[in-house]
This record gives sequence, C-alpha cells and structure tokens, in this order.
Amino acid sequence: MTIAPLMLVVDDDPAIRESLGRELEASGYTTVLASDGLAGVHAFQTHAPDLVLTDLSMPRSDGFELIAAIRATSNTPILVLSVRGNDADKIRALDLGADDFVTKPFSVGELLARVRSQLRRHSGTPPTVLAFDDLRIDLERRRVVQGGREIRLTPTEYSLLELLATNAGKPMFTDHIIARVWRDAPGTTADTVRVHMVALRKKIEPEPSSPRYIVTEPWVGYRFIAEPVADGLQ
Amino acid sequence: MTADRWLRSVGPWLIAIGGTALVTALGRELDMNPSTAGFLFLIVVLVSSLRGGLLVAMVASVIATLSYNFFFFPPLHTLSISEPANWVALAAFLVTSVIVNRLVIDARVAAERADQRRNELETLYALSIELFTAGAVGDATERALKLLGAKSSSLAFFDAQSTPELEHLQRSGEPLELPSPDGRDVYLPLFLGGKVTGALIARGTDASLPALVSASRLIGLALEREKFLEENAHVQALRESETLKTSLLRAISHDLTTPLTAITIHTEGLRRKAERDAELKDSVSGIAGETSRLRRRIDNLLAMARLEAGKAKPRREPTPPADLFRAVRENLPLVFGARQILVHVEGDCPDANVDPFLALEILVNLIENAHRVSPPETAIELRARTHPLDPNQVRIEVLDRGPGMPPGVADADGNLLAGATSDVAQRGLGLEIARTFAAANGGSLGITPRPGGGTIARIDVPAALLPESEPA
Repeated sequence: MTIAPLMLVVDDDPAIRESLGRELEASGYTTVLASDGLAGVHAFQTHAPDLVLTDLSMPRSDGFELIAAIRATSNTPILVLSVRGNDADKIRALDLGADDFVTKPFSVGELLARVRSQLRRHSGTPPTVLAFDDLRIDLERRRVVQGGREIRLTPTEYSLLELLATNAGKPMFTDHIIARVWRDAPGTTADTVRVHMVALRKKIEPEPSSPRYIVTEPWVGYRFIAEPVADGLQ
Repeated sequence: MTADRWLRSVGPWLIAIGGTALVTALGRELDMNPSTAGFLFLIVVLVSSLRGGLLVAMVASVIATLSYNFFFFPPLHTLSISEPANWVALAAFLVTSVIVNRLVIDARVAAERADQRRNELETLYALSIELFTAGAVGDATERALKLLGAKSSSLAFFDAQSTPELEHLQRSGEPLELPSPDGRDVYLPLFLGGKVTGALIARGTDASLPALVSASRLIGLALEREKFLEENAHVQALRESETLKTSLLRAISHDLTTPLTAITIHTEGLRRKAERDAELKDSVSGIAGETSRLRRRIDNLLAMARLEAGKAKPRREPTPPADLFRAVRENLPLVFGARQILVHVEGDCPDANVDPFLALEILVNLIENAHRVSPPETAIELRARTHPLDPNQVRIEVLDRGPGMPPGVADADGNLLAGATSDVAQRGLGLEIARTFAAANGGSLGITPRPGGGTIARIDVPAALLPESEPA
C-alpha cells in the first residue's frame, strides 16, 4: 500500500482553500490547510508536505515570503495560484524558486495535471530513458526516437530537448536555457534560443499546427507539456 | 531750501574761502615760515575737496595759491616773486593741490558707485529671497524694481503682446535702453527654459544695467520655478491617480477572481458527484459553461480597463501562432468540445510579435462569436500565414459558416466601420475588445464575407522574423 502524497494548501480565502482541499482529497491526496504565509511556514515545518500549493496575495505574510522561507531549506515542489494580469508577480514567484503556476480561476483537471507533473519530477532517481507518447529520449546514448524512427538532432537541439524533457511540466526561463545549453556564451540571446527551438519543434512535432511537446510560456520562456507515459497517480 | 541743504551747498565754499583766510591770518600772526603755511593751505584744499565738488576744490586751490604768494613769498603783499626757488615752491604747491583734488574727487565718485552697487546687491538679494520663498513673482518684481529706482515696471511675454521694442528684444536677445521723460526705460530679456520668451520692462530707472539684467535673470528663474512647481503638482496628482487606478484594478481583479475560482472548484466537485445523474450532470455543465463565460467577460473587461488606464502596456514578444491556437483550446474547452475546430499554420509562417495574453483574448472573442452564430454541425477554421502582401506581418484568420456580418459593420475591404462594434446585439462586446486589443498589438482587425457563406475575421499583426543566422 502506498502512502498518499501530502499537499499543503495555503490560501487566505476559505472557500478556495476548503474546496481545493476536498478536490485534492477526492483525487487521492491528503491535505493540510493554512490561511497565510506564516501559518504556511509553520505547517510546512510541522508536516513536511510533498508539495505546496500557495496563493500569492495574502494578509500578514504573503506567498513570496512563504516561497523564500521554504526554498531556504527545502526543494519541495511549490505550485503558485496566480491571478491573471499579475504576470510580474508570477515571474517573481518563479524567480524565488516556485516550480510552476496555475492562473485563477483554474480547472481542477489542469491543477491536478500540474501537481502530478511536479510530484513526478521530484520523485525517485532520475530515469535514463524518457518516454512520452510516441517520443523516446535515451539520455545515456543521446538518441531520440519517434514512432520507431530515429530523429537526427544537432547537439544544440538535443541539449535543448533534454533540458526541457527532464523538466517536463516546468516553465523554463529563457535565461536559464541559455545558461544551461549555451553556458552563457557571449552573444547568445533569446533569438538564438528561438532559432534552435523552431528547428527542434519542426523535427519532433508531428503536427506543427497543434504542438504536443514544446510550447512557449508567455514572458517566461518555454515549457515541455507532454506527460510521461508511465504515470503514477491519476 | 532747508538749513541742512543750504549748509551742504554753501559749506564747502565757506571752508575754501574761510579756511584760506584763517590760515593766512594765523600765518601772519604767528609769523610762520612759508613751508608751514604751505602745508596748512594744502589741508584747506583737501578739506574743500572732501566736502565740495571739483569747482570748489579748484577755486580753493587758486585762492590758496594766490594767498600763499601774496602773504608769504617776498616781496610780501605783491603777487610777484623775487626768488626763483619760491617760484618752484609755489608751482609745487599748485600741482600738489590739483593732484590732491583729483584723487579725492575720484575716491569720492568710486565710493558713491560702490554705495550704489551695494544698494543694488542688497535689493537683488532681497528680491531673490522674496521670489524663492514667498513665490509671488509679480509683487516681488514690482517692489524690487522700485527699490532699483524704477518709476514702474511690468512683465511682457512675446506670445501675448507685440510692440516694436519687444520685437527688437526677441530678435536680438540683448537689453534695450531707451530715453524717457523720467530718465530711461530699459527692456530686459526674460529667459525661460533657456530661451528669451518675454521682457521685464523697467521704466524711468537710473539703476545700473548689470543690476537690472541680474534682476531679470532672477525673475526668469523664479518664473521657471513657479512653472516647475505647478507641473510637479500636476505630475504628483497624476501619479496618485495612477496608483489609485492600479489599486482598484488589483482589488477588483482579486475580488472577482476569488469567488469565481471557488465556484469553478465547487462545480467540478459537483460534476464528479453527478456522474450517474444525467439531469444533474447537464445542470452542472450549464453552470460550468456560464461560469466560464463570466470569467471570460471579467478577463476581457479587466484587460480593457488596464489598457485604458495605461496600467497594462502591451508586452510584445515572439509568439508562435500554433501556441496561440493551443492556448485558445485550453481556454475554450466547451467550444472545442462542442464543435469541430480545424487548425492550420502554414509551414513558413513566422512568429507573431504580440502580447500573448492580448492576442489570446482576441482569438477567444472571435471564436466565441463565430461559435455563437454558426450552425452546430459546421466547423470553425483557424489559420495562420505570412501576410500575402507584407512579409513583415502575420495574418491570423477565424473562419465560420454563420449568417455573415450584417450590412454596415465593415466596408468593402473588411475594415470595421466606426460605431459598428457598438452594436452589442449583433456581436456583443467581443468585436470591440478584439479590435481594441489588435490595435494595442500594433495590428488591425478586419471582417470580410467568406465565399460560400459565413465570415472571415482576420487579424494582421507584426511578425517577429527570425535572425538570418545564429551560432549553433
């Protein structure tokens, strides 16, 4: 018997906090609820949850303080519940160490998908093969196979794909991509990333009009959106 | 004539004549030698110069020289001199007395000028204090110029008045001095923002030109300061207004979004429980659909309000049209679930240089409109390609098989006609929002009839072309 992952839900609005707690429990998770950042920090230290869901705008102590406090000691995934129009807040939260965000009002289905993605990224040892629908990435042999046919990628394209796929579900800042793939080589810009991303998407997207793997994340960078085929919680 | 003035005008003459007589009498009585008497006569000339003008001093010199000769050089009581050495002494006395006169009078004039400068400086200092503390430029100017001896003064600006004197000043930028019955009138350039914009006019003044120029500079600075303070107060008021708008928009956004989020979560919980009850499931779907529409409207109106309040400047970035279409699918699950949506992005279509959120709102509104007016069995098509006439633009189209736009909404080229979008009954707020957001993205929205029936809504927006080459 596996133990259900524990979710810490931090939101100052009781209607959202409690209804979200109920829906998460209905989906097989256990929950702890907190009404602001201070109570969230206390609950985090007491219960050591597997994932934190937090609002940003809260009285007394807000979501930013909570994220900073958690990141000072832990890598536990943090999912931010942001409000549309406050993109600066969303980006600041990601900068502070939040792993992902959903924009209010969100659907529970969308939220659960993000939760699963984060739990998967933070569980167990890193895999040597990543499998997504018809795409397989062999990390040891640096091979990419789609529909049984190997796709020839340039070293840069492969590095991009590997970085995004190993962080599937997480929005990746363009600056972070430049640092990891190009090692901050002088002259590398967002346009450099865009050129290579266009080439990569042409090679791996079966239907470019309806992307299944890589999408742009407004004002952040890119996100690998496909879910691995071997999924745990539903 | 008062006694004081009489004494001041007659006194120097009395000193010159009386002093000479007194020295002569004393010299005779005490049997002074010529050298001693000469020094005493020199003192009389000096005192006369100090008290009187050049004329008194010169008369004193002549009388003293004559007395000196008549009473002290042999042969006595004559104006002749027997010894050549005495000629030299008398000539030396005369030259010395004239030089002393000159020096004393020059010193007096310099002292008077210094006194005038001091008075002018004190006046300018008082003017600067008054201008930069009290702030009433007009009153302070008048008071200061009166202290500088002007009978009257005024400020004139080129954009409000025109006289030959002002036109001359505007052309030359140099002070203009004109004779007048009261002395002289001076037109001084008034510098504002680094250029001459008007004149300070001082009438009937004998003040020095440098003092008047300094006064006009000070007044120019004070006027600039007054203008700056007014603008600063205006900017401060605007800033406070902007802060208020931001706070209001944030509060409204939060207060509307929070209950909507709770309703959405509750509805999904209810939907899960209603799986086995078809009637309840339909009702829950209805609530979900209406909640979604309400959410869209709130998002739209808040985005419009932010744009109009200037709080949400479009943040344009390269955005692949395929990603926009995908985001639309996520935002309109009910529409995409209810009808066929065909998506096509041409292979060479560049990214659009748009604000992704605003571009998404445009598409959502156009697709919702198309969905509302199209028969259920027809598909809606989404297309993106390079603009056929301008490779620097991307054309995104929403094609439906609805009844088409009513006449008067768009012209023959598809451009929306003024006021057409205000017909809320026809296409709702959606078209107005789409048009506003397209314009905010540097693009345009057009509506044309679709061959075979229906409408094509097209958005032309700037393309984000890829650089020619990039390092691998």
